[in-house]
Amino acid sequence: MKFFTVLGIVFYSTIIILVGLSMIGLSLNLIPMQNINNLLVYLQNSTNLKIIFGLSGFLLILISFSFAQLILGKFQREKTIAFSTTSGEVTVALSAVEDLIKRLTGIIAEIKELRPNVIASKKGIEVDLRVILKSEANIPELTSRLQEITRSKIQEVLGLEEQIFIRIHIAKIITPEEKERKKKDNEREDPAVPYSGFGRI
Amino acid sequence: MHNEESRTDLGNIRIHKNVIASIASLAAIEIEGTKRVGQDLKSGFMEFIGKKSFSAIKVEFDKNGEVKLEIPLIIKYGYNIPEVAAKVQENIRNNLEKMTNLLIKDINVNIQAIEKG
Repeated sequence: MKFFTVLGIVFYSTIIILVGLSMIGLSLNLIPMQNINNLLVYLQNSTNLKIIFGLSGFLLILISFSFAQLILGKFQREKTIAFSTTSGEVTVALSAVEDLIKRLTGIIAEIKELRPNVIASKKGIEVDLRVILKSEANIPELTSRLQEITRSKIQEVLGLEEQIFIRIHIAKIITPEEKERKKKDNEREDPAVPYSGFGRI
Repeated sequence: MHNEESRTDLGNIRIHKNVIASIASLAAIEIEGTKRVGQDLKSGFMEFIGKKSFSAIKVEFDKNGEVKLEIPLIIKYGYNIPEVAAKVQENIRNNLEKMTNLLIKDINVNIQAIEKG
């Protein structure tokens, strides 16, 4: 972990612990209200202390913004696949790769739903697929077919030679009876309104 | 917003960053496989209220007057991303050089999503 990330974590933990301790102290009467009152009165009367207090607040806001940028920037960098061309750099959002994989649902008839999660690491591209199957298909055959299609599609579309690891998790298998039952339940939930067509030309 | 300025015998010519972003946007969607230019929060809001904004396209000028451009794109499903991105970069470069005579340093393409065409 980088120095600044550790510093940020320590800083925020300290602040939050201090706020928590002050709240506990106040509720248990460990910090007398009179002391706080005296401090506030002193702050109100001293211009120097007001300036120091204000500047400290401003500094805290600045530190917060810079840490937020650092963390968000880091997350953003991790969420893309990048490659260079002669004219500049091309970055592909991992969510775009996930969109691409989701479209594969239409290719394999046995798949009802596909929820991909793509991670780009030093080892290569890791794809986690959470699958809901329509019927009792041959799972080993289906999963190997899905892995092969996903791998070839990513390589074809992204043109990357990096290693692609595909993990598949079958979350649910919907049997025809279950499908039928769900359909019936839906029909029961939305009964036809009597005389709904009345008056229509 | 910073403008790129050039001098002629009669005076100055300023090209606003929005003009460069606009050329880049039009050049990008000319390419087969590009669905549209991506959006950021500001351009999304502007489009919502019916105004056109190119704030998602970042244009920077360096000290030598060279342009660095960053453009988010939505690509159509079924197209080869590196191919489309390279064509977009080339088309943007050609159009910017033809229309503005500016020197282009980098055109960074950021693929935000893939949508059915």
